[in-house]
Amino acid sequence: MECNLKSEAGFDLLELAGEVDLHFSPKLRETVLASLKNGKPLLIDMGKVSYIDSSGIASLVEGFQAAKTAKLQYGLLDISKTAMQVLTLTRLDKIFELYTSLDQFKLKL
Amino acid sequence: MIKSIENLGAWVLDVLDQTGRTSLMLLEAIWEILQPPYRFYPIVRQMYFIGARSLTLIIFSGITIGMVLGLQFYNILQRFGSVDLLGSGVALGVIRELGPVMTALMVVGRAGSSITAELGIMRITEQVDALECMAVSPDKFLIAPKVVAGILSVPLLTMVFDFVALYGGYFVGVIMFGVAPGSYMNGMIDAIEMPDVRLGLVKSLIFGGLVTLIACSRGFYIHLTRAGSQGAEGVSSATTDAVVLSSIGVLFADFLIGALMK
Amino acid sequence: MTPDNPNAITIRDLVVDYGPRRILHSVNLDIPLGQIMVIMGQSGAGKSTLLRCILGLKKPSSGSIHMLGTDIATATRKEIYDVRKHIGVAFQGGALFSSMTVAENIQLPLREHTNLDDKTIEIMTRIKLDMVDMLPAEHLMPAELSGGMTKRAALARAIIMDPKLLFFDEPSSGLDPSTAAELDQLIITLKNSMGMTIVVVTHELDSIFKIADHIAVVHQGNILETGTPQQITASTNPEIQGLLNRKPRENIVDADAHLRRLTGGF
Repeated sequence: MECNLKSEAGFDLLELAGEVDLHFSPKLRETVLASLKNGKPLLIDMGKVSYIDSSGIASLVEGFQAAKTAKLQYGLLDISKTAMQVLTLTRLDKIFELYTSLDQFKLKL
Repeated sequence: MIKSIENLGAWVLDVLDQTGRTSLMLLEAIWEILQPPYRFYPIVRQMYFIGARSLTLIIFSGITIGMVLGLQFYNILQRFGSVDLLGSGVALGVIRELGPVMTALMVVGRAGSSITAELGIMRITEQVDALECMAVSPDKFLIAPKVVAGILSVPLLTMVFDFVALYGGYFVGVIMFGVAPGSYMNGMIDAIEMPDVRLGLVKSLIFGGLVTLIACSRGFYIHLTRAGSQGAEGVSSATTDAVVLSSIGVLFADFLIGALMK
Repeated sequence: MTPDNPNAITIRDLVVDYGPRRILHSVNLDIPLGQIMVIMGQSGAGKSTLLRCILGLKKPSSGSIHMLGTDIATATRKEIYDVRKHIGVAFQGGALFSSMTVAENIQLPLREHTNLDDKTIEIMTRIKLDMVDMLPAEHLMPAELSGGMTKRAALARAIIMDPKLLFFDEPSSGLDPSTAAELDQLIITLKNSMGMTIVVVTHELDSIFKIADHIAVVHQGNILETGTPQQITASTNPEIQGLLNRKPRENIVDADAHLRRLTGGF
């Protein structure tokens, strides 16, 4: 898994790539929580994620909760079809805010 | 006639089988305990179960045994006019023999039988299989903590027993029969020497391991004995077997250790 | 399992003897990737033994079982443990650990095999509990669960590590028809959404035809036939037809003899 945190205008963009599984999800969790501590909204680009397991999803969920507590916008960008199936199965598809473009997210800010 | 010889042969083989399995279990438990990650919490938890389950019993039986010893020794010593040896007699009897043996037997009855039942039930309800299929070693997760806890708890419980038994003897000798408290206490302190304490300690360590091993083995390997196919009733008979076997084991080991550690 | 191997498990010439008795006679079976394979047969046919061999709980007398790149039949204990980290098993009675809560049961594999944070483990546990509709039962002890709840908790535990292979031993046993149907639906959803290869050992006919992509019929230690549900239904093998049709018992022919049987009379 690769994890790139970029600073955009008014928010942070976290670019994920590769497989997010048991080994790598702690890094994802760390990065998400640290980024939210800086008080900026967070958009996570999932476009290049080939596989995400429940530990990865749990990290995203925890991030969402932290964002809500800090009253920051938090969204997932470009979720793949397979990841979407997992979200639907775990009933999280209605919980997360899903975006298909950066502009969509910027509008929400 | 042939049939009884066959049965005897089968029984001997079965006993050898069980002994072999139990010894292997001990080796595997030691091996697993030495593997990282090192987890102390399960051991402490098991020590609590074994200790807490047996403590009240140990205290009551300790006081009673001490009082009985005090009574009997007083009776005997009085005939020879040597009641000032009462402290020494009670102390030596408790620390060398009765402390370790009685404690072990109490633990067999309370903690040992419940360990056998617990592991037996886990085996027949496929909980052990479930652990295996999760790639968790039952030796490391279930057995090793219990064996280590047993080896550590029984000496501690023995010390409690010794302490209250010595008081029991004091109560009978000094308070009931009026033996001089000074002579009782000095008799106690003078008689006890390092070899006596060492003997008591070695016995309680070995008893602790022996009792827990037999209890674990009878429950964990219940499926390899006739009892394993009988469901709940099988667990009951495996528990009884474990209690009988451990008790005999303790008494036999007591003699052996005593003879070897002259 | 190599990239071009379409099978999750390959069993060849598997023989199991219990002393002089042969339980499995040279069994050959392929379990396809990403599909639901139902192993069916009467009690005592050998399907439980087959499952135990696949899981590494029983060492066969001869033969091979290739699963996730390892031959389970000849592997060392460590190798088998490595494979087991990628499988999940839901046992017939649930086999939940009686001294732990439902949540602690489900989390056990995570606590033993990963260094994940407590919070992550908690969320993962709850996600799986929600999937099997057992979230309110999180802190209950196994003894407090009904039959259906036990099965669902066991399933949640089996899938906590997102295994590639999932095994069920008699999933519907002891369940009422509607709970059994719900469980069947969950099994199908797991295959579709998570791409799991699922092996179900059962004798419940209703479930079998609802969930199976492939069926293997076991009879007296042999695989009689394998195929799709349609193929099996159309089988000309009399044993299989017998299993499928559950013929009613024949009427009493000799009333006298029957009376004698019942009364033990002369």
